[in-house]
Amino acid sequence: MAVEARTEQLAEPRPRRRRYRPSMSVPGLLGLPVAWLAVFFLVPIGIVAGYSVNLLSFGSVFGPASHGFTLQAWHDFLHSGVYLRLFWKSVKMSLLVSIAIVVLAYPLAYYLALSGTKRKYVLLLLLIAPFLTSYLLRVLAWKVILGDNGVLNSFFFWTGLRSPEHPFSQLLYSRFAVMLVLGYIWLPFVALPIFVSLESLDRGLLEAASDLGASRLTAFRKVTLPLSLPGVVAAFLFVFIPTIGEFVTPSLVGGANGYMYGNQIVDLFETGFPDWQTGSVLAIFLLGVVVLLTLVFSRFLQPRQVTAG
Amino acid sequence: MDVALSKNGARILKAFFALVVVFLYAPIVVLLVFSFNKATIPAFPLSGFTLHWYHEFLSNSELKSSLKTSAIVAAISSVGAVFLGILSAIALVRHRFRGTGAVSALLLSPLVIPYVVFGLALLLLFHTAGIPRSIFTVVIGHIVITLPYTILVLMPRLQQIDVTLEEAAYDLGAGRVRTFVSITLPLLLPAVVSAYLIAFTTSFDEYAVASFVVGTQATFPIYLYAALRFPSNLPQVIAVAVVVISISLFVVIAAEIGRRVAERRLGAEG
Repeated sequence: MAVEARTEQLAEPRPRRRRYRPSMSVPGLLGLPVAWLAVFFLVPIGIVAGYSVNLLSFGSVFGPASHGFTLQAWHDFLHSGVYLRLFWKSVKMSLLVSIAIVVLAYPLAYYLALSGTKRKYVLLLLLIAPFLTSYLLRVLAWKVILGDNGVLNSFFFWTGLRSPEHPFSQLLYSRFAVMLVLGYIWLPFVALPIFVSLESLDRGLLEAASDLGASRLTAFRKVTLPLSLPGVVAAFLFVFIPTIGEFVTPSLVGGANGYMYGNQIVDLFETGFPDWQTGSVLAIFLLGVVVLLTLVFSRFLQPRQVTAG
Repeated sequence: MDVALSKNGARILKAFFALVVVFLYAPIVVLLVFSFNKATIPAFPLSGFTLHWYHEFLSNSELKSSLKTSAIVAAISSVGAVFLGILSAIALVRHRFRGTGAVSALLLSPLVIPYVVFGLALLLLFHTAGIPRSIFTVVIGHIVITLPYTILVLMPRLQQIDVTLEEAAYDLGAGRVRTFVSITLPLLLPAVVSAYLIAFTTSFDEYAVASFVVGTQATFPIYLYAALRFPSNLPQVIAVAVVVISISLFVVIAAEIGRRVAERRLGAEG
């Protein structure tokens, strides 16, 4: 390091700058964070992969010992169809939620970024604040609201709009409940990346479009929408990625109907007949899909999209 | 003429915005209303005002100990995450080195991993290594998932801080530690506080990962989850919900105001 620094110093026209080293070296700085993630993030994932191909198995101490490499569990997973169907169901639910709330959030972000309102950051905070409160407690609220004898139904009985013999059933413990709650939880967050992309839009472009005779709608279609598309894609992925593997909300408000892929993974590890190998296959498959999505769309997933504001 | 929105368009969007805000806050208001309701089952019609449920949860020792456990876990893990976050942010912002892309991808990757996968992966690690589950295993997991948030908060602020200030201190004879403590850290402080609060609240609220690696000592979300599945003392939980949501809304707003004030002041100085 020292030698490198010296040669750079000679090549540099302003040597005074190079002498400055107020912080530690790169290995000194990154050693701890990288080691932490290697040991408590990468190695654990490697262990799951190990379980999925039977290099490790339930109850073993380190080392393959009597466990041999086999792709049997992967073969079963890909051929039985049960788990893949469940995965597809979860993907569809998650897609529907993500698309719906991106569509809902777009006008919100548009209003904040382009209406010229003076209080846009206050309004943005108003929108985001619920996202920063307890996840489980917001699920709790919907459980209280949606139950057969819950707030919504009892309100209708009380006001006589609906008889107690005929409640709106299926509100709670259904696929609908899972998607409603997931949408409710993620909606504020989705507005953020869209807001950031609209906020950075050069209004001069819209004025130019207008001067050249484009209507507002045309300007929106040809200028605003294409330029905000990266934010829209990012928003979509920010919801879609965490919700495919969701298991908390479906286990609280989903019932049998709202059971998702994530619940299956948990059950394979926690119920009376744990099958860690199959569970690991399911987990690695999910991780693979997520990593693939992230890589394909990585140019849209800029960190600045969640830090601005 | 406004090029982005017609007058009517702005009105419609404003109404829509208001509608969504109502939708977002209505469930929280429902909780607030029913936390003061006498009946043991939250349903209309309302049956009278009471503070009973608040009294009851204040004397529920299981609940209180879970809140305490979560506070401890959150306090420790957020200190850890912020510490690692500061180191990472300085390396990524102040240094150019080979593999920056790979390193920052690794440091931010916990953002996209499904928590169910990470939770069970940690469980398998501790199982394989023979480490018993405890609040420390939860702390370890929470540091991993909150680290990327702290980096994302710290990096932009660090980029704004003028390197020449650090150079000046160094030229005047301050050592590395002195320069960091008396120049960089005070300038970075607003972001450090934001990062700490984000890490703290994330950890305090985290259920998915904790559910895999928690020991016998339940954290608040673990307690809450059990209470939600078997809602025998629902009104009490609703009362707690109101308190926790109020506190977190208060913290969020206070932090945001504090950050803006601090940044404006520092901006004026710089």
